Amino acid sequence: MSVLVIAEHDNSALRPATLNAVTAAAQLGGEVHVLVAGSGCGAAAGAAATVAGVAKVRTADAPHYKEQLAENLAALVVSLASGYSHILAPATTFGKNFLPRVAALLDVAQISDIVSVVSADTFVRPIYAGNAMATVQSKDAIKVITVRTTAFDAAAAGGGGGAVEAVGAAADAGVSKLLGQELTKSDRPELTAARIIVSGGRGMGSGENFKLLEALADKLGAAIGASRAAVDAGFVPNDYQVGQTGKIVAPELYIAVGISGAIQHLAGMKDSKVIVAINKDMEAPIFQVADYGLVADLFQAVPELTAALDK
Amino acid sequence: MKVLVPVKRVVDYNVKVRVKADGTGVDIANVKMSMNPFDEIAVEEAMRLREAGTVTEIVAVSLGPTACQETLRTALAMGADRAILVETGVELQPLAVAKCLKALVARESPQLVILGKQAIDDDSNQTGQMLAALLGWPQGTFASKVKIAGGGAEVIREIDGGLETLSLQLPAIITTDLRLNEPRYVTLPNIMKAKKKPLDTVKPEDLGVDVTPRLATLKVEEPPKRKAGARVADVNELVQKLRNEAKVIS
Amino acid sequence: MTTYIAPVRDMMFVLNELADLQEVGALPGCEEVNPELVESILDEAGKFASEIIAPLNASGDRQGSRLEKDGAVKSPEGFKQAYRKFVENGWGALSCPPEFGGQGLPQIVAKPVQEMWKAANLSFSLCPMLTQGAIEALVHHASPQLRETFLPKMVSGEWRGTMNLTEPQAGSDLAAVRSRAEPEGDHYRIYGMKIFITWGEQDLTGNIVHLVLARLPDAPEGVKGISLFVVPKFLVNPDGSLGRRNDLQCVSLEHKMGIHASPTAVMAYGDKEGAIGYLVGQPNRGLEYMFTMMNHARLAVGLEGLAISDRAYQQALNYAKERVQGRALTQPGAGRVTIIHHPDVRRMLMSMKSQVEAMRAVAYLTAGYMDQAARHPDKTERARYQGLVDFMTPVVKGWCTENSIEITSTGIQVHGGMGFIEETGACQHMRDARITTIYEGTTGIQANDLIGRKMARENGTTLKVLLEIMRADQAKVARVSDPDFNAIAASQNAGLDAVAECAEWVVKTYHQDPAQAAAVAVPFLMLIGTVCGGWQMGRAALVARERLAAQEGDESFHKAKIKTSRFYADHILPRAVAYRHAVVQGAEDALALEENQF
Ligand SMILES: Cc1cc2nc3c(=O)[nH]c(=O)nc-3n(C[C@H](O)[C@H](O)[C@H](O)COP(=O)(O)OP(=O)(O)OC[C@H]3O[C@@H](n4cnc5c(N)ncnc54)[C@H](O)[C@@H]3O)c2cc1C
Repeated sequence: MSVLVIAEHDNSALRPATLNAVTAAAQLGGEVHVLVAGSGCGAAAGAAATVAGVAKVRTADAPHYKEQLAENLAALVVSLASGYSHILAPATTFGKNFLPRVAALLDVAQISDIVSVVSADTFVRPIYAGNAMATVQSKDAIKVITVRTTAFDAAAAGGGGGAVEAVGAAADAGVSKLLGQELTKSDRPELTAARIIVSGGRGMGSGENFKLLEALADKLGAAIGASRAAVDAGFVPNDYQVGQTGKIVAPELYIAVGISGAIQHLAGMKDSKVIVAINKDMEAPIFQVADYGLVADLFQAVPELTAALDK
Repeated sequence: MKVLVPVKRVVDYNVKVRVKADGTGVDIANVKMSMNPFDEIAVEEAMRLREAGTVTEIVAVSLGPTACQETLRTALAMGADRAILVETGVELQPLAVAKCLKALVARESPQLVILGKQAIDDDSNQTGQMLAALLGWPQGTFASKVKIAGGGAEVIREIDGGLETLSLQLPAIITTDLRLNEPRYVTLPNIMKAKKKPLDTVKPEDLGVDVTPRLATLKVEEPPKRKAGARVADVNELVQKLRNEAKVIS
Repeated sequence: MTTYIAPVRDMMFVLNELADLQEVGALPGCEEVNPELVESILDEAGKFASEIIAPLNASGDRQGSRLEKDGAVKSPEGFKQAYRKFVENGWGALSCPPEFGGQGLPQIVAKPVQEMWKAANLSFSLCPMLTQGAIEALVHHASPQLRETFLPKMVSGEWRGTMNLTEPQAGSDLAAVRSRAEPEGDHYRIYGMKIFITWGEQDLTGNIVHLVLARLPDAPEGVKGISLFVVPKFLVNPDGSLGRRNDLQCVSLEHKMGIHASPTAVMAYGDKEGAIGYLVGQPNRGLEYMFTMMNHARLAVGLEGLAISDRAYQQALNYAKERVQGRALTQPGAGRVTIIHHPDVRRMLMSMKSQVEAMRAVAYLTAGYMDQAARHPDKTERARYQGLVDFMTPVVKGWCTENSIEITSTGIQVHGGMGFIEETGACQHMRDARITTIYEGTTGIQANDLIGRKMARENGTTLKVLLEIMRADQAKVARVSDPDFNAIAASQNAGLDAVAECAEWVVKTYHQDPAQAAAVAVPFLMLIGTVCGGWQMGRAALVARERLAAQEGDESFHKAKIKTSRFYADHILPRAVAYRHAVVQGAEDALALEENQF
């Protein structure tokens, strides 16, 4: 039996999260196939075929897949499911949105957000905001799984030689329509793929003050993140949010500035390799997970840090 | 228009759960339970739609043991008109919940089901999508804004790259994200009124649903603990440590 | 800074198992009251207390209320919004009469909810609490017209009330009140200076309804010559809208040790043409009216002692679970531990916890008596309960507030050096607690009331009734063959013997030489409180044991109840024996020196 990974892509290229899902898929035994559903998505399909470990790319190219609406995508995946033991997608807003539909239509459970593969039917996943790790076993014929990207390395994005095969499109459900997108534009790396993240919390005081973090991030080539408190306060857009219900990140270096460290925030970043906390409240829980803690006024410390990196 | 709002009873947001020593789960025997925060947002959204004149009836649903009545009373005190408890002692997984809800939708014929995007206990983030699939309805998940107009719903969704706006035909499923609204505090007069609102109980069998779990939990463990590291005295020491000790910057 | 989590589980335990919520639910007018309703009220109130009121406690302490130009007072940041929410959510009207828009809930529900407001933010809570007192005064004594004019808006929270009793020369002794009221048509002109008026001026509500004690021109001297007036900040037009500003002003705010957010105002009445006031009830009966509300107000301040103690306990407990210092005595080889592993820290936490639980039980029990006294269909029962309320009120007020000073201090001790540092927040609880033994009658005044009106005047009848009940409950504890219960029963027995002996001594001595009795009135009050606490903790242990045997409810909570009761019996209740000694042996010693020997 083979394993099917649903690619997250923008028609011209794969999103990095797909590569982590491929790595998880490779641990399940069996050939790894990737489905690229889109419109004019040949380039993305081509890219998928070169990913190390991918045996076959199946591509469904039709106008009604352009926007990856859950209703249409789920129907397509279900139509292809019969040959597979596992169907995987990254646990991003893309994967979380449509994959439970697939599971329900196949009448199987979904296993959300796995962080490790114990065996072909047994997986570890975090529950309670990562305060407990559950090992779960699926009794269903097809295992439908979303993959926590930070828990699996990215598969190499070149060198593979998978075949590309077109598959027929399923019908357009026609019940929903994309009216528009408002994507945050940034020259910085994407949060979930960044090697370094500088993240701000309520202590930043305003959106304006995030400029301090931008200067630092520019020096470090870092992405910018935020705690829920900072997003709720309107300092930065929602897609900056790191945490239980936001993005899960695990960069090599995570610099938390003015973040107190609520459990829900820690859930999103505690797997970072090195954590730095800058906070003037010495009691802030963030210090309990920080490798390096600096008790200081961030408005002084951050510019100082930015300057010190030049030396 | 009628709205169905499923609400889950979960360990309170503020409680730090502890894993049971025997590894069978987390200890929830004596901890404070509350309504799942995302579900509070769902009830609030239904309330706002009613206040805007779009919605005429709000039916709260909970699934689980008898104690879920408390959660339903909270929903009633927030403003739901009546409540249904699907009572069972069986551990419910999202697919089973979605099937029960599908059966209730058939009975109640709502135009909209508003759910929380995930429950803060199992963090599954599945039920709304599964229900939508079983009903063949469109879905607007992770909603940060909802507008009902012209027989359809316009939903702004929070996605990894930013925001997107969907137009859905009704009936539809909406799942709530954090910033959709800020739930109101329950008022004392409404607590008093909630006691008099109807709360019906059904069993999964009455709905013809088999709720047997599909996933077996083999064990539950503590996550690996991160140790607190060292305090640094100033920025210079920090930079020096990051360069020479951690070697994460150059 | 730790937040406040309302102890709903212990509250419900006390209400269901010790304070007879069920019986109150059976009283006329309380048909809706049942454990489920009460629990949902407590849950929601607890949420409001934690999320809206508690976060303003420390900042309110730091900023304080400030006097601005023209006698206006600016409350600390956030208070106005929080007060508005409080009112919008109906919390201010919980126990108010339904005919004026309240929910009419009994005291047994109102008191736990009040405890939450007080624990979350004592300064904030004083604002609705004093309004409550003013509402009661008007409900019981004012003319229908005054009630119509003022009550609906006070119940809704749109306006709030104050109590203006104290004057520079009239504190404990209100007979010395000098403010004047001169008749003028259908109203009076009020002249005088009031001091220490809590929330006497504020920016939370559109109007402030002051209840003021003053003398009529022809009034007799002393307590029988004082009348009660309603004096609104803004006069009220016939259509209910606000009219002209009345001639009264806040002339200064006190700089205080604690409750900084609560403005304590010096109020000047009638500096210009005289403040317009309306007589409440009959002339010269003002103090009497005050006394009818006294039980409520005093019980409420007793609750403050309980509430702030619990807040201090929660804070200390959190710190003890986090602060790492030293190694465990039993495992010196292992790593450093959090301080909750140190036996002395355990002892401190137990002493806080056990006293908080004992106080809660005694206070709620008294609230239940109050409901019985007010609503029982049978007249003799009402009278019996009223006797118990009258007796218990000074005890709850004096004992809980005095304890709070010790407990908040222990809270600081648990923190070590950080406890002494303001940022930690432990200091504030002790500073805030310190007023509770003073206002609404000092402990000395409570104790005088206890030994005089509540003991000597009726020859100790009520206490004898209470003693019988306590003896019967003690016998139940003694019948359990279990080391914990044996220890509790023995300690209770010694406490009850002490009470019996002292009761006799107080009644006898008061009639012969009241000064001697008064000299040890406070130790006597503390004796009664301490023993009542032991009585309730014993009952709690019995209930917990039953639940455990039946395998019902929360096992760990019930086991902890028994051990906490045992701790109280071994560490706190034995104080009864020392109080007894002071009472029966120490009166003369207190009075032994001539004034010039000090
Ligand atoms: C912060 C604050 C808020 C207040 N809020 C209000 C308010 O809103 N409205 C209001 O009207 N008042 C208020 N008060 C006044 C308060 O009720 C009085 O301060 C209190 O009753 C004590 O009166 P006193 O200060 O005059 O002390 P005193 O009566 O001078 O007492 C001094 C000491 O003598 C003792 N003593 C006095 N008489 C006797 C006696 N007969 N037997 C034994 N001992 C005695 C007292 O116990 C005390 O130890 C407030 C006071 C404060 C500090």
